[in-house]
Amino acid sequence: MITFPTPRIAAPRTVAGVTLSQTLALMLPAVAVAWSAPLQFVALFLVAGGVALAWEVLFCLVRKRGFSFHGITTALIVTILCPPDLAYWQLILAISLGVVLAEQVFGGRGFGFLSPATVVLSLLMISFPQVELPIPGAMLGLATVPGAVLLILMGLVCWRVMLGAGVAAGVLLSIGGPVTDPGAVAATLAFGLVFLVCDPTASSTTRAGRWLYGVLAGGLFVNFSQGAILPFEAMVFAALLASIFAPLLDRLVILAHAYRRRAGNKGGGRHA
Amino acid sequence: MRHFHIRQGDPAPQTPAPAQQVENIGLPREVALLGRDIAGVRPHFVVSEGEGVTCGQTLFTDRKQPQIAFVSPASGVVSKLTYGSRRTLDLCVVTVAPENEKPSPHKMPDAAPREILQARGMWSAFVTRPFGRMPAPDAVPDAIVVNAVHTSPQAPDPAVVLEGQRDAFHLGLSVLTKLTPADVFLCQSPGKPLGPEGERIIHASFSGTMAAGLPGTQIDRLCPVDFGGAVWSISYQDVIAIGHLFGTGTYMARRVVSITGPQAATPKLVRSVLGARLAELSEGGAAHILSGNPITGRDAQFLGPFDDQVSLLEPRPQAADPSRQARRATIFRPLIPSASMEKAVATDTYAIPLARALSVGDSDAAQRLGCLGLIEEDVAALTRRCTSGTDYAAMLRRVLDELELDAA
Repeated sequence: MITFPTPRIAAPRTVAGVTLSQTLALMLPAVAVAWSAPLQFVALFLVAGGVALAWEVLFCLVRKRGFSFHGITTALIVTILCPPDLAYWQLILAISLGVVLAEQVFGGRGFGFLSPATVVLSLLMISFPQVELPIPGAMLGLATVPGAVLLILMGLVCWRVMLGAGVAAGVLLSIGGPVTDPGAVAATLAFGLVFLVCDPTASSTTRAGRWLYGVLAGGLFVNFSQGAILPFEAMVFAALLASIFAPLLDRLVILAHAYRRRAGNKGGGRHA
Repeated sequence: MRHFHIRQGDPAPQTPAPAQQVENIGLPREVALLGRDIAGVRPHFVVSEGEGVTCGQTLFTDRKQPQIAFVSPASGVVSKLTYGSRRTLDLCVVTVAPENEKPSPHKMPDAAPREILQARGMWSAFVTRPFGRMPAPDAVPDAIVVNAVHTSPQAPDPAVVLEGQRDAFHLGLSVLTKLTPADVFLCQSPGKPLGPEGERIIHASFSGTMAAGLPGTQIDRLCPVDFGGAVWSISYQDVIAIGHLFGTGTYMARRVVSITGPQAATPKLVRSVLGARLAELSEGGAAHILSGNPITGRDAQFLGPFDDQVSLLEPRPQAADPSRQARRATIFRPLIPSASMEKAVATDTYAIPLARALSVGDSDAAQRLGCLGLIEEDVAALTRRCTSGTDYAAMLRRVLDELELDAA
């Protein structure tokens, strides 16, 4: 075959490859969280993964499409973020609704505009107010770093979004005064940005749109974490709201770009 | 000279490069004109099957625009003539017989340059943006872009091809300036200017990925047309042929092509003929021959009129179960945005929104994203980098056809 020079790690060319890379990136964070209560973690993951994959397989069979096994990454993210003593029926309900409503009704992985993990966690918090997401330790933040580097090199996570969000959150936090638990906030930012906000199908796809999207997500996170709100809950809602606005941001950026191009072209819109 | 470095698109493949030295080879046994290279043209044949023709003699004209002629690239006998759907051309094969050659050059008529180009078979060398078609006979472009950029070491180096042809090339450039009151851009690789710096002949240099050698990229940087205007592009070898036509009165179908690829025993440059049968150029070796480079080239039996490279590849692996593979190809797969897709298209656009618009055939959104400045070859890299397996070239053509109908 013809070999093309690849200056860096190439992006996977299949959807299953994307799932595999994201699962790999999630391995260390999963170990960091499972360390304290491995049995509970594995049990929750098996339930979450089983339910998510069951829905995916069901929809794929009905639609006669190939599987992407994306349910595994959704289940991993949810298991890492949910409390270890979560009731199984609550998890099953939230995963079912989240996977079906945020992903499968749109046609499956890559066809929707939301990250299913974000929607599952939002549903969990809205439906069951007594469920509290755990406060992350600094270990989770450190464990996120290798996966983040891998995904950035593969082009599946955009560094512009991360930088925009990080700067926005940093500026707002420094204006707001001292943070009570900086370790937890940093770990939340790291994990939440890489796996919730920067999900390739949920984030903006234009360059300017990505900066705006990152700033929006970072700003919303700081805004939501005022008062007694736990950091992960603020992050989940910030990711949800930001990804709802992502298509609008893209749309505005594209319209502005088209306006600028039209003004710059010869002939002044003869075909436009 | 303005310089542009192109970072988007695919880098040149790393296969053995030919020695940049042109080898003169004899005429092929067969040459052909293909309907897919002149999409939209319905031919009106002035010769019939079995009739003898000379090089440069009109084979057929465009039914709607009879002043535009398509000529034989070699002397011989019209041996095969087939129509496609709706009386378009499928294939017109000329079996070469050099003894039919008449040495006397035609006298140049005293006519406008564009009429001569149309009557003598050089009009189809132009490709318009938008839409990527042969220009209308009376159209006046906002610029003409001559592509002489050498992006891949596997392709012929224009500086080598132009040796000994400089006069014809300069004459050809001056003919181009008579087709438009606007500028003629000569795009080349960095180095010594390939043409004369003159009034309305503007040099620009391009370097970087394979996308630097696409006229779509050059037009985008020099005189974009995605929101209005029209620009024609032409290859430097066709400009030499135009200069030859105006200088000597004879039609010149000789083109330098490189024979490369993993299956080429010794990569080399040869002086062949437009529409030459590729199996003869490949020394009977390769099972899988592309006209063009491995990125934008296509499976072909005859040399395409816009190609200066022939790629000999290994035969494609046979699928264990063809029906299963065919079923797999029809599965609608998702598009997962990635940074590599984002850098696939070299024009000033947003590749992922463009890919989304094309994959669902949304012509309004595609137009907002500048698809009028693109043709199939500009989005070839997008197809290779996308998880969905969508053929963006085919989808772009569908959208362009729709927009062309709307514009008419």
